[in-house]
Amino acid sequence: MTAPEIFDRSLVRARRERAAAGFADFSFLYDEVSARLVERLELIQRSFPRSLVLGARTGGMAAGLAGRFGIETLVQAESASGMLRHCQGRRVVADEEWLPFADAAFDLVVSPISLHTTNDLPGALTQIRRVLKPDGLFLGALFGVGTLAPLRDAFLAAEASLGVGSSPHVAPFTEVRDAGALLQRAGFALPVADAEPITVTYQNPMRLLADLRGMGEGNVLANRGRQSLRRDVLMATVRQLVDQTIPFEIVFMAGWAPDDGQQQPLARGSGQVSLAAILGKDRS
Amino acid sequence: MSDIDPRLLEILVCPVTKKPLRYDRATQELISEAGKLAFPIRDGIPIMLVDEARKLDG
Repeated sequence: MTAPEIFDRSLVRARRERAAAGFADFSFLYDEVSARLVERLELIQRSFPRSLVLGARTGGMAAGLAGRFGIETLVQAESASGMLRHCQGRRVVADEEWLPFADAAFDLVVSPISLHTTNDLPGALTQIRRVLKPDGLFLGALFGVGTLAPLRDAFLAAEASLGVGSSPHVAPFTEVRDAGALLQRAGFALPVADAEPITVTYQNPMRLLADLRGMGEGNVLANRGRQSLRRDVLMATVRQLVDQTIPFEIVFMAGWAPDDGQQQPLARGSGQVSLAAILGKDRS
Repeated sequence: MSDIDPRLLEILVCPVTKKPLRYDRATQELISEAGKLAFPIRDGIPIMLVDEARKLDG
């Protein structure tokens, strides 16, 4: 089965290439998420000799990992070569949907807001699980469902008020509960998913659009309108967003490549104590 | 011309077939015999994208 094409993957890459040179001025969200991923790693008492950053951008995530967490070999993978040129160390231009790494090559895969534009997220997660050694950790962050909701609504309202047919401007994003299920489906043990909001308030909403472009996160929907955005639609959209708080909901995912040493559920029916006894209820 | 990192070479496979690659130092390419693709290495960075790979005949 091939996944439906929701995102134009070559456009994803092109947008990132275009953003590469000036990324330092627009990396605040990426840097914040990277820092939170590092904080989460600090809670895990493990060392990860061979680690991969998937969606490395210009090296910010790797800088937070290098020399820590027992990392000896750190590989940075990124689809835009222009971004990678700013990185140091071992680098690979790679597509998240077509990972070029051998089975069990890594103890850790970290992915800071990168997987949200994959057409086949379950497939990408399965490939990540495959490149992890048994008991290796995947820690990822991607945009969740509330992300940019006011922008999506404002576009729709603007197009409706001007009598313009609506075309999709903001991508569909992942639900937290789906993220957990996807990890499980991809074969990860002990899957965990949760969301943290990051909000940004714009006095001038044009800055929001500039920020999204600068991050390389412009519209990459395969069925986006083919004509360029009408100026009146843009203006009507922006007017609704003045001083609005724009949410970015970051979904964090963690899962382990299965290993026999991990905690396992007991076999069904092997319990020795009656639930009624624990609850202290006499149901006779 | 900077050579590719040996540790990197150990873990890279063809993104399509997941089979091992052969490093061609002269052409600075990583050859996937099974996938009939040659992935370029630019400035020591392997470009493991099918779009950017040279198709091999046969």
